[in-house]
Amino acid sequence: METSLFDAAAQGLLNLIQLKVWFALLAGVAIGTFTAVAPQGIGTPLVYAIALPVVIRWEPLTGIALLIGASSVSAICAAYLPVLFGIPGGGGSQATVLDGYPMGKRGEARRALGASFMAGGMGCLIGTLTLVIAVPAAKPLIYLMGSPELFVVMLWGLSMVAVLAGRRPIKGLIAAAFGLLIAMIGQQAQSGVMRFVFDQPYLLDGISISIIALAMFGIPSALDLALTKLGVEQQAVPLKGSLFDGIRDTLREWWLVVRCSFVGVWVGIVPGLGSQVVDWLAYGHAAQSCKGARESFGRGDVRGVIAPESANDAKDGGDLITTLLLGFPQGVATALFIVALLAWGFLPGPEMVKKNPELIYSIIWIQGIAGIIGTLVGFVLSGQLAKLAELRYTFMVSILFIFILMGAFSVHRDPLDLVAVVGFGILGYFMRRYAYPRPAMILGLVLGDLMEKYLYRSMMAYGFSWLARPAVIVLLILAAVSFVFTLRGRLKSKSESPASLGGAMGRAEDES
Amino acid sequence: MLRKKLLTSLLGALAGLAVTGSGYSQAPFYQGKTITIIQGREPGGTGDMRARSVFSFLRKYIPGQPTIITEFMPGGGGRKAANHIFRGAPADGTVIGNVGAGLIANAVLGQTGVQYDLAKLAYLGTPNSASHYVFLSRQEAGLTSLEKLRAATGVRIGAQTVGHDIYINGRMFAWLLGLKEPRFVTGYSGPEVDAALLRGEVDARANIADTIAHRTPEWIEKRLVNFHSIIEIPKGDKHPRFANLPEVETFAKTDRERQVVALNRAFRLGGSPFILPPGTPKEATEILREAFRKTFGDPEFRKEFKKLTGDDPTPIMPETLEKYVRDLPRDPDTIAIFKKLAGADPLPAR
Repeated sequence: METSLFDAAAQGLLNLIQLKVWFALLAGVAIGTFTAVAPQGIGTPLVYAIALPVVIRWEPLTGIALLIGASSVSAICAAYLPVLFGIPGGGGSQATVLDGYPMGKRGEARRALGASFMAGGMGCLIGTLTLVIAVPAAKPLIYLMGSPELFVVMLWGLSMVAVLAGRRPIKGLIAAAFGLLIAMIGQQAQSGVMRFVFDQPYLLDGISISIIALAMFGIPSALDLALTKLGVEQQAVPLKGSLFDGIRDTLREWWLVVRCSFVGVWVGIVPGLGSQVVDWLAYGHAAQSCKGARESFGRGDVRGVIAPESANDAKDGGDLITTLLLGFPQGVATALFIVALLAWGFLPGPEMVKKNPELIYSIIWIQGIAGIIGTLVGFVLSGQLAKLAELRYTFMVSILFIFILMGAFSVHRDPLDLVAVVGFGILGYFMRRYAYPRPAMILGLVLGDLMEKYLYRSMMAYGFSWLARPAVIVLLILAAVSFVFTLRGRLKSKSESPASLGGAMGRAEDES
Repeated sequence: MLRKKLLTSLLGALAGLAVTGSGYSQAPFYQGKTITIIQGREPGGTGDMRARSVFSFLRKYIPGQPTIITEFMPGGGGRKAANHIFRGAPADGTVIGNVGAGLIANAVLGQTGVQYDLAKLAYLGTPNSASHYVFLSRQEAGLTSLEKLRAATGVRIGAQTVGHDIYINGRMFAWLLGLKEPRFVTGYSGPEVDAALLRGEVDARANIADTIAHRTPEWIEKRLVNFHSIIEIPKGDKHPRFANLPEVETFAKTDRERQVVALNRAFRLGGSPFILPPGTPKEATEILREAFRKTFGDPEFRKEFKKLTGDDPTPIMPETLEKYVRDLPRDPDTIAIFKKLAGADPLPAR
């Protein structure tokens, strides 16, 4: 029996009334806050990669609460580094440095952080509300989707490789093809043929994606930290001013928040734009549309903080629209989120909308609640969090290695998983060193299996006639248009990003 | 005097130790021990629930009331866990394996990755064995009778994966009912096959009779699909909802075909066997077997099984299961035909 969306939303909320879900949410918020503020480059993808082997053994809602809690708050608290140290933060908060740091130097660090938290919280809520509206709007379309349509949607997702590859499309394609190749290991579900198994039981079901993700993102980051001894070298600007000034600024600029939040949602929905450009697009929009921006932007204008932060947090809502309703990821974090959902037995996309709408609403509720908690954490603990940014690399390296190895072993308690994690970790390190984008490989890995399944089903059920289905044709056109549009938008945003931070942006592409 | 006292004390102490030692050896074998049940599957599914239904009863019926914990070792349709039980698990009675019906089928069929020997494992029984498979087609396909079904060409039959029991039984139906050039569309989850059937992506499927009754009762009540045939496991066991359907074996034309049907039944009857590593001490094996016998005979277990799985248990006792494994048909020609049915190649010729 099918439940109404209102009932599903109510049930989704009721399902959260469990102590362990709230503990997991708070743990996720704590982890997300820590990783957003710590200077050693721990982004949401690495948090997901480390957490995945552990949380997939939990009950779904508890695991989801931790993952969403971490990613949601990570975006809200990402302004510390830009404002206090003048270091571009994680993806999505790099543009904040342009006006956040001058504000900090001027003695208005608290004001900049206050504006950032408030704009982030509002952006998160707007993104979440858009997701709420998107579920019923998308539902009729989703019912029309069979295997051929789903294959085209996956193809659309894979076209993102061109964007994730940044300035090195060939290396991106090689990495994605390698991901597809790894996805082939094991018994091919449709034909029963053993591929790359070499009579080894360990390889019968392929190598666990969570092990590969953990290795590809965890080991290179830990090795990099150990080798480069990265940390914050310069002194933080003094934490002066008032958080409430920032709140007032944001409320006064509510229209800018709304506009930039929708920029964020749009970036989240369109395949391939991602967090590397969201802040720059919003910053560019604010610079073009705000009164007097030409003179004040780049010199400590609070609107230059509000715009990127609101867009960055709203983007998560847009990300979840495509991830949950269509079933393809928008980046590494959402790809790993899909891996977790698959491990729990949920197939994101149309099937999940039909079968588990209450879970989708639980995720939406968690997203909204995490946004509120993250904003409060930012306000209440701003002084203490600033100290976190001074953590030494030695501490981080040890913690990372412990979590990576324990996480890998905890998946199946199979010593061979440790061998796999070390092997893929070394591979990941060299991929990073020689600028082969790992996100492209993970995308190939996650989507490869699904694409093959949908293509096989389409061919077996319809032969080549599936290509003539109207919905397939419409989706192919949409995919092609969005691909061209995305590439164009990305090139444009590159050319518009300030020259002083062009290098930082390029670095973000490589590191993403 | 003092020396005599010391000697007496020493002798007394030694006697005390001997008595204590002897008392200790009388303590139940499993007292203070932990039994780990390794399941060859992901947690949370029906197989897990079937296994869990026995845990509390085992603790109750094993003298010494050991702690019982479970671990999951999914992979290769149970092959990974079975290999581990056979080769790597301690054979001291503290590790029990629980694998699906694939444990027996994979070994008999000589599938890739099997590194265990069925004859060397010890069997503790299974909580489930009976199941009925039904073949059905969607209403819109217009295959309202067996004749129309057999006359149609290129019927698309949906299933999970090659080698999955639903796939094999779907192929068994197609083969024995004599369908013309059937096409097998795989790569779905169980509920996905239902959805594909309703939207016309596939025309027919095989499914477990109880699953249909629980998951899609409206298919039966509103006649949304046409039911064509049934596989009864064990043979002659009528399903209350589908007793009128013709049994697939009635379509078999030769003894060889009947043997293939019998082999299929034999694989399914194995249920989800509990096993012990080779070399497990006889004392521990017998204690566990007795505990399983008592568990399967306990009316409370039947309630627990029904509560967790929605079905009634159909247990097989340890000795019966062991005999059943020993007596499995191993005729190479029958196995060769069955392997063709389980694989992706065209159906065997008739």
